[in-house]
Amino acid sequence: MRLFVRLLSALIGLALAAAGVLLALEVGWGWWRPGRGPLFVPWDGWRDRLAELSWSDPAVRYLAIAVAVVGLLLILAAASAGRRAIRLTDPANEVSVTTSPRSLARLVGVTVRAQDNVAGAKVTATAKKIRVRATSRLETEGELRPRLLETVSGLLDDVPLVRRPKVSVVVDSPKDRR
Amino acid sequence: MTRSVSAKALGRSTGTERTLTVLIGLLALLGGAAALVVGAGWLGTYRADRPLVDPIALDWLSRHALAGRVGAIVLGVLLLWLGLWWFFRSLRPEGRPDLELDDDLVVTSSAISEAVRLDAETVDGVGRARVRAVGDKENPALRITLWLVEGTDLKRVWEQLDHTVLARARESLGVDVLPTAVRIELDTTAPQRVR
Repeated sequence: MRLFVRLLSALIGLALAAAGVLLALEVGWGWWRPGRGPLFVPWDGWRDRLAELSWSDPAVRYLAIAVAVVGLLLILAAASAGRRAIRLTDPANEVSVTTSPRSLARLVGVTVRAQDNVAGAKVTATAKKIRVRATSRLETEGELRPRLLETVSGLLDDVPLVRRPKVSVVVDSPKDRR
Repeated sequence: MTRSVSAKALGRSTGTERTLTVLIGLLALLGGAAALVVGAGWLGTYRADRPLVDPIALDWLSRHALAGRVGAIVLGVLLLWLGLWWFFRSLRPEGRPDLELDDDLVVTSSAISEAVRLDAETVDGVGRARVRAVGDKENPALRITLWLVEGTDLKRVWEQLDHTVLARARESLGVDVLPTAVRIELDTTAPQRVR
């Protein structure tokens, strides 16, 4: 997402620059040689067409909705391009350490899958929360969940995280469905 | 909040790009909403039925033709300057500054990177390391990416990283503080089996 916003930002910059050049050239040309028609952009045709359209015209409304939605998407894209890395404690002055959410999830996943009676596990991690979804054929949620919580919490003790994420464990077991 | 040099070196900042993108997004959102409000007749029923290119506005513009033309050309040049600055700022590559230790002693970024990389790869549990210099000439920093093998004791890695790898780098460069950002990828490969 960060790369996407960088590229998007470059494109917007280029579009603004192009619009600026065209605006200055067209206005300058119209001033210097009045009555010779437009230089690159057929703006006089656009002006006549726009003079026919009223604000309440459906086409104008749809365009306004589209512009507003594009604006909202731009805001959302920029807002979701923040840093997601998880900070670890600094081993020394002027040394900062992070790890990626994916790598923390992988670490937790490997540990959870190595537990007895766990058939599989899906883990997602952020700096604030780690979600574990494990499946088991032999144990119910009531039996397995406390054990997994303890395991993950013990694992997090060994990882020097700056802030300890909350851990949530869900166990999916056919034994619970009977 | 000011962040330390090493914290800044953790990743490239996209602050300016994000702020500008949010501003353009807001402009589009508000413009679209304003057009909808006018079209829905909330600012007067008759206004909603007036054409987009309003004769009143055109009339006003033709009475202030000189100011309008000069204003439009100035706006166009400003947009061009802003757009180009924005474009090149977004696409500029991240710098790899050399370390200037003295007036006549410069350590190139590739030399320091290679030395620290070889050192870091000797630490137990580090499968692969990548090192590069980041930042600018005034505030250079190192960014180290470490891929740890499965089952590595993180606390040992912490200790060794500071006491051996970074201490050696500081010593050989003759500096007290070397801002360093470390990115760690945990559990990347299974430990090698002994055959």
